[in-house]
Amino acid sequence: MTTAPAPLTVRDVTVRFAGLTALDAVSFTVEPGSVHAVIGPNGAGKSTTFNVLSGVYRATSGSVHLGDTELTGLAPHRIAGLGVARTFQNLALPPHATVAESLMLGRHRLTRAGFVASGLRLPSATREARRHLERVREIAAFIGLDKELGFPAAALPYGKQKLVELGRALCMEPEVLLLDEPIAGMTADERRRTAAVVAGVRDSLGISIVMVEHDMGVVMRLADAVTVLDFGRRIAGGTPAEVQNDPAVVQAYLGAQE
Amino acid sequence: MSETTKDTAAPAPAGAFAGPSLTGRLRRPAPYLWLAGSVLLLLFPFYLDRFWLQAGLFAMAAAIGAIGLNLLTGSTGQLSMGHAFFLAVGAYGYCVLGGGSSTENGHALTGLGLPTWLAAVLAVLLAGAAGGLFSPIAGRLSGAYLGIATLALIFIGQHVLFNAGSLTGGFNGRPVPPLSLFGFTFDDAEVVVAAVPFQSSEKLWYLGLAALLASGLFARGVLRGRPGRALNAIRDHRIAAGVMGVPVARYRAGVFVLSSMYAGLAGVLLALVFQRTVPEYFGMILSLEYLAMIVIGGLGSVAGAVIGAAFVSLLPQVLTHYSDSLPLVSAPGTGGIAPGEASRYLYGAAVVAVVLFLPGGIARLKNPGEKKK
Amino acid sequence: MTTFIELLLGGLSIGSVYALIALGFVVIFKATEVVNFAHASLLLAGGYVTAVLHDDIGFWPALGVGIAGAAVVGSAVEFLVMRRYRGSDQSVLAIVTIGVDILLTTELVRRMGTDVMSLGDPWGDDVVTVGGVTLAETRIAAFLVAGLLITVFLLAFRFTSWGVSMRAAAENPQTAALMGIRLGRVSLSAWAVAGALAAVAALFLTVFPTPGLERATSLAALKAFPAAILGGLDSTTGALVGGLVVGVTESLATGYQGDLSFLGRGIGDLAPYLVMVAVLLIRPAGLFGTKELSRV
Repeated sequence: MTTAPAPLTVRDVTVRFAGLTALDAVSFTVEPGSVHAVIGPNGAGKSTTFNVLSGVYRATSGSVHLGDTELTGLAPHRIAGLGVARTFQNLALPPHATVAESLMLGRHRLTRAGFVASGLRLPSATREARRHLERVREIAAFIGLDKELGFPAAALPYGKQKLVELGRALCMEPEVLLLDEPIAGMTADERRRTAAVVAGVRDSLGISIVMVEHDMGVVMRLADAVTVLDFGRRIAGGTPAEVQNDPAVVQAYLGAQE
Repeated sequence: MSETTKDTAAPAPAGAFAGPSLTGRLRRPAPYLWLAGSVLLLLFPFYLDRFWLQAGLFAMAAAIGAIGLNLLTGSTGQLSMGHAFFLAVGAYGYCVLGGGSSTENGHALTGLGLPTWLAAVLAVLLAGAAGGLFSPIAGRLSGAYLGIATLALIFIGQHVLFNAGSLTGGFNGRPVPPLSLFGFTFDDAEVVVAAVPFQSSEKLWYLGLAALLASGLFARGVLRGRPGRALNAIRDHRIAAGVMGVPVARYRAGVFVLSSMYAGLAGVLLALVFQRTVPEYFGMILSLEYLAMIVIGGLGSVAGAVIGAAFVSLLPQVLTHYSDSLPLVSAPGTGGIAPGEASRYLYGAAVVAVVLFLPGGIARLKNPGEKKK
Repeated sequence: MTTFIELLLGGLSIGSVYALIALGFVVIFKATEVVNFAHASLLLAGGYVTAVLHDDIGFWPALGVGIAGAAVVGSAVEFLVMRRYRGSDQSVLAIVTIGVDILLTTELVRRMGTDVMSLGDPWGDDVVTVGGVTLAETRIAAFLVAGLLITVFLLAFRFTSWGVSMRAAAENPQTAALMGIRLGRVSLSAWAVAGALAAVAALFLTVFPTPGLERATSLAALKAFPAAILGGLDSTTGALVGGLVVGVTESLATGYQGDLSFLGRGIGDLAPYLVMVAVLLIRPAGLFGTKELSRV
């Protein structure tokens, strides 16, 4: 049973620390089931936005809502519990774990076995683990990692590792997926595969996707809507075509840059 | 699903978690070594003298404590220098709960006189509760801040142990009531088994083995399951862990409590073996020894904790026993290096050597690169 | 009232010595992000060298050699041990320093045995009385020397290229290296400086009114840890404030022990740790420490 997906609304979010204004009254809305790209030159505040959305940074002012639920000010694990998943630009995979174990971490908020149940290997814990491992296998197959489940994740090529990271976020069964540069550093082949996975996630799972990306080709192809940031401010937004021709955007990327 | 697994070929997709199949396992030497080792361990009390049995019991208690510290520091990355405090809570808690009120050398000692098996259980829970009291700190801090904050526990502990005379016996310590379980008392009253006289050391041996086995299995279960993944995530990528739904502070506090209970259990066992509690023992040096144990054995590994504990705790015993035949080492009091000092040199050097040359500790020697739990 | 002032002044002066030790600890942390649990043994080493030599070559030369010696030991630890670690786990590095500490302390304590050694300082047990308040000359010297050294360091960190490269290396080693900062040199100098500071502190921890250099001196040196923590591990100002807080707390708690006897004997040694815990409950990064800004 799926509940009606909700829009992610960002309203006037400002983030200030140590005298620096990283985000200045940024607003945008991610329609449910769409791919929304956040682009901008380096230092524009894209990662900061993600950190605010996932609760890692606290917004100085403004709000973030998922549907009617307010996300601002919540601890990261609570936001995760409400259905927001994210990947990391620099990969946050456990250094020694297998792919399957890495993916299972994503199931954390959906499982319940605690210290006692796991330590005593109670049947409830083993049953739960088996059930969720099955689901992990399904998700791994969906993104094309089913053959690598037993491999140590750190031994995989970079592109596959990013895919594991994506898979782990998917294992959280999120409503909103935040992808931080999902195809950076990949070969052309890997890029195509990941782009297909992202499109597949949107189309068949109906998950809203917010994507920070530099590769304009992918953005133009995949994104339903784009928000452009520069110096912490939203300077343009709309469909990829609209944004591509917006003079403010062109100037931000090519114009007065140091 | 077809199982065409060979032991050393590509990892079986069906067994993403499981290791090689049962027939695969039976073809290797490891299980037979385990069997032989277990049989030896069970037979030791029939052949070893008290000195070695006591040394072995110290090692078992140390192993239980080390497994606990490993959960906290090795698997979750929370440096703690306060382990000795919880050992003291366990040891002294058992004495206070299980001992009767008495007077020793003119000092009154209070005791609740509970049945000793209950006192032992409650002492472990008490250690956990003490860990729980510290959780506002243990949950929110990490790294050096936590390490030095836990140092405060040591000093608080020492202060209480030396001052709360009626509870702790001050600098004299307390006698330890022998454990009684189902009418069987683990004391020095001789019981003859297979023509071998069994005293406290022999009786406690099996209790110790059982406790160690249970502790090890429980820890393995935790590490292999959902909590273990969460703990490792906290160690490796704290922020990512939170973002993935792991309530970081709660898990940090939880593992701190669990680790404290392991220390409490180790403390109870130590008290039973020593038959006397002594306040100086539970100082900072003991905490440092436990840290050395888990590093030498291998952080994040239950087996490693046991190996490291055996190494560090047996070293002084071995050196003392053979001090005559070893160069440099001599009996305490005469010239040369005392066994206690010599063992400290050795395990201090071992810590440095292991970290620099054997990352992953001794436990990872067997399977370099493979993740060991 | 005079008792209070005496205790306060005494606390400030011993506090400045703790600040000196904490400063060395913080210098290493700021430069390398390593928590140096071997610091107390560096202190012991410096004091030991001075104590052993002062009879033969006089106090000031012996002190000089002691300071140099401790600096050498610190550098040796950095060069032979710390630098060789290839991993990135901070817990492990901290535990390595614990291993080094065990080695150094065992060796020094074995040499010292149960002796109480004097460092031959020139102040002896002279005291100065001003307006009814009596203060040992050693305490005044401690305060002045420590104050001077700490000021020099605070200025050096902020204004000299050494200080800047040290802070840069701590903040972002890769970028610093790309900018031409020799990380190895920064690290080495941090450890050497820490050793030297510890040796100076050793002097003031072993003069009147303490009996001299003995095993227990390393326990006194331990008090620098809560000082550094409650001030904030990466803050030199924090080391200063933390040291003074610890010193004053210890002095007042010991001085009024008679009134506090219900808390048990030796509350003076415990009080600084309790203050530290209290501070950490309110400010988990210490008074002046920077709260981790996540770099994701």
